[in-house]
Amino acid sequence: MDSKESNALKMDFLSSDALKTRTGMEKISMIVDKVKDGDLVVIEGGLTPEEEADLIETTMREIDVENFMGIDIFTLETNKTSFFGLSKKKTIGITIIGPANVMKAVKKKSNFLSMIANLGDSGASLH
Amino acid sequence: MRKFFRRSFFKNIFNKLIGKDKKLKIGLYGHPNSGKTTLANTMTSDWLGKPIGLISEIPHETRRVYRQEKVKIEYDGVELDFDIVDTPGIATKIDYKNFLEFGLSEEEAKERAKEATKGIIEAIKWLDDVTGVLLVVDATQDPLTQANITIMGNLEARKIPFVIVANKIDLPEASSERISSVFPQHTVVPVSALHGENTADLYQAMVEKFN
Repeated sequence: MDSKESNALKMDFLSSDALKTRTGMEKISMIVDKVKDGDLVVIEGGLTPEEEADLIETTMREIDVENFMGIDIFTLETNKTSFFGLSKKKTIGITIIGPANVMKAVKKKSNFLSMIANLGDSGASLH
Repeated sequence: MRKFFRRSFFKNIFNKLIGKDKKLKIGLYGHPNSGKTTLANTMTSDWLGKPIGLISEIPHETRRVYRQEKVKIEYDGVELDFDIVDTPGIATKIDYKNFLEFGLSEEEAKERAKEATKGIIEAIKWLDDVTGVLLVVDATQDPLTQANITIMGNLEARKIPFVIVANKIDLPEASSERISSVFPQHTVVPVSALHGENTADLYQAMVEKFN
């Protein structure tokens, strides 16, 4: 962990361009390493279902029942209209991945995501 | 006589499903108590004339938290494999403290949590060579859960055919329409696994999707 205070929450925002250059596994390792350190990772766009499955698998291998209980993933979707406005498709706008013991409460609507980060005695909220 | 026709009808469908390989590997995924075991029993009764013989009540209560059962039936030269997984089993987190609620000691709870992480990895790997998946949804409950969405996303990405089974339609509060409206792009078949209601439609859908 960096020189981080124990009651502070570090958030890393990654643009889709920054992730493009990485392979699926590099992306997953980076996310899991950061989250294991207690950081919150916010990604522009989403992971592919295969990457999501790899992320779950890697997380399961990294779980240490005492210190790391896993991750939570939340996505905010946007409607994308295509084919001359005839079909509507949901695409992932942002993905938030964080330690399961930190991301305590979430209110999710189609265009709104509210998250409470629980940092032990202190608390932070993100809307 | 009617029973005979019913049996031969199901046998015919089963032969179509099993194909040349004489092997059928079906994943039954769904939330706890959505009726996966009941459905597996109904299917094997219809196809092979005998229930799968699964015990629905697991002696150790906690096993129901992340339950996974693998059953292989070899009968008359064909092989039928079932993998029955509670979808919360495809989870992103395991907190050993959840197991403490079932009266386990801390040591036992931690051991059980470690087992659960292995079970999740196995459940994901199992998807690689499955013939098809039945996503069993309790039609009396809200179908739009993160677990259902995650599993469907994975099935679609891996091009694994699946059918959504809207189970428990015998209950008055059940609504298979709610499931169809939430997942309009997928095949939803309403059934009552308990009473064997509409299972012929399900098998037909499986033949169409899995082949």
